[in-house]
Amino acid sequence: MMETTDSNRNLLSVEKIDTYIGQFHILEGVSVDVAKGSITVLLGRNGAGKTTTLKTIMGLTPPRNGRVIFDGQEIQGKQAFKIANFGIGYVPENRAVFRALTVMENLKLAERKKGDLDRHADFIFELFPDLERLSKLKGNQLSGGQQQMLAVARALVPDNKLLLIDEPSEGLAPILIQQMMEAIRKLRETTTILLVEQNFIMASQLAERYVIIDDGKSVHRGLMSDLVQNQDLIHQYLGASIQAPISTSEAQ
Amino acid sequence: MSHNSKKLLYSVIGVLVVAGVVFGLYTYAGQEAFIRTTLSGLTLGSLFFLVAAGLTLIFGLMDVLNFAHGSMFMIGAYTGWQFYTNPTFIFGVLPLVLAFATTVMLIPVIKPRLVRLDLSEAWQKSLPKLAYIAALLVAVLALVKFDILGLAKTAMVAATTTSSNPLAELSPQEPLPRFLLRILLLMLSGAFVAVGLSKPGNRTEVSAPEPLKKRLILPVVLFVLTIIFTLVRESASEGVLLMNGNLRFALAIIAATLFGFLLGALIEITMIRPLYVRSFFIVLMTLGMSFVMRELVQVLWDPLAYQMVRPPLFAQPGRATTIAEWLMNGSSTISIAGVTFPTYRLFVILLGVVMFVFVTLLMNRSRLGMIIRAGVQDPQMVEALGINVKRVFTLVFALGVALASLGGIGAAPFLPVQPMMGDQYQMQGFITVVIGGMGSYVGAFVGAMILGMARAFGDYFALKLQLSPTIAEASTVIIMIIVLILRPQGLFGKKD
Repeated sequence: MMETTDSNRNLLSVEKIDTYIGQFHILEGVSVDVAKGSITVLLGRNGAGKTTTLKTIMGLTPPRNGRVIFDGQEIQGKQAFKIANFGIGYVPENRAVFRALTVMENLKLAERKKGDLDRHADFIFELFPDLERLSKLKGNQLSGGQQQMLAVARALVPDNKLLLIDEPSEGLAPILIQQMMEAIRKLRETTTILLVEQNFIMASQLAERYVIIDDGKSVHRGLMSDLVQNQDLIHQYLGASIQAPISTSEAQ
Repeated sequence: MSHNSKKLLYSVIGVLVVAGVVFGLYTYAGQEAFIRTTLSGLTLGSLFFLVAAGLTLIFGLMDVLNFAHGSMFMIGAYTGWQFYTNPTFIFGVLPLVLAFATTVMLIPVIKPRLVRLDLSEAWQKSLPKLAYIAALLVAVLALVKFDILGLAKTAMVAATTTSSNPLAELSPQEPLPRFLLRILLLMLSGAFVAVGLSKPGNRTEVSAPEPLKKRLILPVVLFVLTIIFTLVRESASEGVLLMNGNLRFALAIIAATLFGFLLGALIEITMIRPLYVRSFFIVLMTLGMSFVMRELVQVLWDPLAYQMVRPPLFAQPGRATTIAEWLMNGSSTISIAGVTFPTYRLFVILLGVVMFVFVTLLMNRSRLGMIIRAGVQDPQMVEALGINVKRVFTLVFALGVALASLGGIGAAPFLPVQPMMGDQYQMQGFITVVIGGMGSYVGAFVGAMILGMARAFGDYFALKLQLSPTIAEASTVIIMIIVLILRPQGLFGKKD
């Protein structure tokens, strides 16, 4: 009984997916639930399978087994463009903006219906004022932080119900991390977000729920507020590197 | 900053080298020879561009090296030549192809029903195979004693006689009742193919279908076209041949380009799409396909070389002094700065420039161009935005083949139309793409013009200095080697 009420509240349920890349078994039974209107974060070491989980949901690396249920529909095995058109926006890692296109063209390309950009332009440029100023520059002329903002902005052009955001803070200067956090916080007012984030401070301040992925398995899940208290768990799965930022945040 | 100044330096050096070469050639050859050779070079360059533009777009987006591109150039020439000289063959075969396509295109209509069928796994696997076998048998039955070689030979008669009455060479088509039977059988065959392709019983293929009306549009249009073209099989040929020659030539260009487009789309969907994961096989496949096309053409029209008659706008003897005079009289040559030059070659130059402008606009102003530019970098991300990248691949492949096909019909009035005519252009097309940079259409244009000039001036020097004429062909390879040494990614290629 609990199960059914749970899945009703979930916008996205990933159920025991197995994903292979070539012969490599990357994901072994990963399960992730994302409640409507929440931010859920995937945590784990480098190479644990977080990015592959997002790609599998998106249909870019289709799973061999398991189900992905989005908004009441099974979407696993469908082509990526169809999955996107269900209302999922994808912000890949490494700021995959299109270098040969201008900022404006990058945004235009993300339109699913004519006029998507016009309707959301005000919101997007309020969130990332830099982009309006830079709209005529090409992707390869932007700085790393500007590219990251463009990558997020691109996912906001159509009406998406769910955003998959991969490492938005990667390689950003501290001041830009703040701006990115503000932006994501504002986004959660209107959409649901599944985040991959290495920066534990950022993750802990943004997300309500977490799923830890380790060696291709989802090993732990729960409320972020519980995880912050659980130093052992953090140490075991996220490594010692997280320790330092936590102590600084506590020092503040 | 240093990057920009380096770029500026290279551009200045480039301009100086080009200016130096041009000045040197001008003073050496003298004005008349220089202009004549330059115009010849531009003509060749235009054709090279039409071949290379498709190659470079296809390679840039899909990493596919299309070794059948030269054959598609040749097919374009044959299609246009057939249409212009004697369309009996085209109009005799067209209804059959349309009939088959009509029922194949029923897939979106029948698929939603068929995938819901309750079939065991064994049936799911064997039913499509059975359907394909049935389709093949019915198609063979439909074409029993269909005199396709006879239809093709009528065009040969047209090419070899010089009768003043264009209708003299028309040969009668089959009687209608018999032909209708073929049409019906081919529609049945197409329906079997559609059943097979719909994957009956495969529930993973279930998806919300578009409204029935929308799904029916294409099959209905094709059906109506089938009926129309069945009824006008003979009168259409007559009508085309009685038409004003210039209009007929314009239609021939459209027919060849359209045929190239459809052929390209068909080849991409059926043969290249399953091989994207094994890209090396695509090279072998396209290479094999080029042989198949060449042999097919030889079967139909014998391994002979035909000369297509120039359309009247370029055929009247006499030399025009101005463009207006040429357009009025249809002179075959025109005087440009005192140099007599064939008007048709000017038209070919114009064709190349117009298509360059078209490709530029397409790439920079249209959504398709935006998708292509983005897809060259990261097709996965484009797909993740909700864009059907597969369809874009098909479109770009079709577009590339259409450009090659257009080049073929453009070349037909001044090159012998023969099965090997595309080979040389494919070779030069590949060299062009290497010089200009893989994936860059601007590079393809500049590279094509450089190669055209090299060929033309190579010929000029070979003649003047009594060198071997192969020096012209060798020069393009030498240019390619120099570019590869100085700038391995090509003149306009981007480093990855």
